[in-house]
Amino acid sequence: MKEKQQRYEALVHAFHADIYRYAYWLVKDKSIAEDIVQETFLRAWRSLDALKEQQAAKSWLITIVRRENARRFERKQLETVDIDDVSVIDDTAHSDSATEQRDLHRLLGGLSEEYREPLILQLLFGFSGEEIAEQLNLNKNTVMTRLFRARNQLRDAIQRQENQRGRHNG
Amino acid sequence: MDELEFRRRVYANPDTTDRDVVEAAKSDPAKQAFWQELKAQDSALLDVMRVPVPEDMAHKLIWQQSANEFVRHRKRSRWYIAMAASVAFAVGISFTLFNRAEVSLGNEALVHMQYASAEQSHSGLPVDLTQVNAKLAGFGASLTDMLGNVKVANYCHLSNVRSLHLIIETDQGLMSVFVVPQRDDVLLPEAFSNDTYHGEAVKMQRANILVVGDKDADLHPVMQEVKRKIQFSA
Repeated sequence: MKEKQQRYEALVHAFHADIYRYAYWLVKDKSIAEDIVQETFLRAWRSLDALKEQQAAKSWLITIVRRENARRFERKQLETVDIDDVSVIDDTAHSDSATEQRDLHRLLGGLSEEYREPLILQLLFGFSGEEIAEQLNLNKNTVMTRLFRARNQLRDAIQRQENQRGRHNG
Repeated sequence: MDELEFRRRVYANPDTTDRDVVEAAKSDPAKQAFWQELKAQDSALLDVMRVPVPEDMAHKLIWQQSANEFVRHRKRSRWYIAMAASVAFAVGISFTLFNRAEVSLGNEALVHMQYASAEQSHSGLPVDLTQVNAKLAGFGASLTDMLGNVKVANYCHLSNVRSLHLIIETDQGLMSVFVVPQRDDVLLPEAFSNDTYHGEAVKMQRANILVVGDKDADLHPVMQEVKRKIQFSA
């Protein structure tokens, strides 16, 4: 029991931050993400004995997050509000980099989930194309295409925005 | 590698180390610049992805797990207590039932003796064989001959079983013979007694016979007589 407790705590410390971020980018809501993470780690505790390797633990946690999210979505389909629609725009002065970051945050949130999810697995978790394919149950070509389109769309959007701002300022 | 393929590969993974991609960039500054831009975009993206994690989240998760475990444990204990209570209840019930069954017939006969003494006094007329057999017929039994001097022949209920109670005058005083139909749910002790009376019982084909007399009376002769004279129809 004590050993299990230690393994659990190690798991929490190693993964809670990225798992929370993953959940956040799935649901784009801090408190819902937190709920999902809590549920995920409770389930992790129950099945901890079956978890051996770190890598397996990581992808297993991601699987639970996605399942929890799907469950929540089924349950609350009628009640959800897209957080992007209600996000408060902060008008106080910001440095350029803060503005850029905020824009990027919005753009990333605005990507469709099928593009955003592989991107997060690649960047945040350092998954390879094969690993993403396995995690999302897709074939590798589909994953690479989505990664390509995700970055392509972001880059286009950023450039459009810069042009607009340039015109605005000029 | 053509421009389109290069872009496709770098877009899909700016951190690629594929040799052909690296080779293609080496000889082309435009490609290199594009690649650098994408890497910068990725690093900005990663910054954005790393949203701040709620403070103390790790501790909360650990605490939550302990609390959950505690509740589960408590629930389990509650379950054990409920189980123990059920077992105790079942034991109590069966003990009561068992005890009741065990004391039943003998005790009931003894209890019945109390008012048998009152009963006999108001029946002045002796009972004849025909009357006794008429009453025994209900049990599928009959007597071949009269049992000494039967003073009273009455139905009574022992442990809710309808029985025939005969009071016989013997040289050892009054004795009672009970004819009780066989029943699975009542126990029949071979011998029983209280402060005033004692009794013996035998199981016969279709009925139990109980003979009860005073504390120090010898029940054996009467029991033998009953055994000899009673007959059961097939």
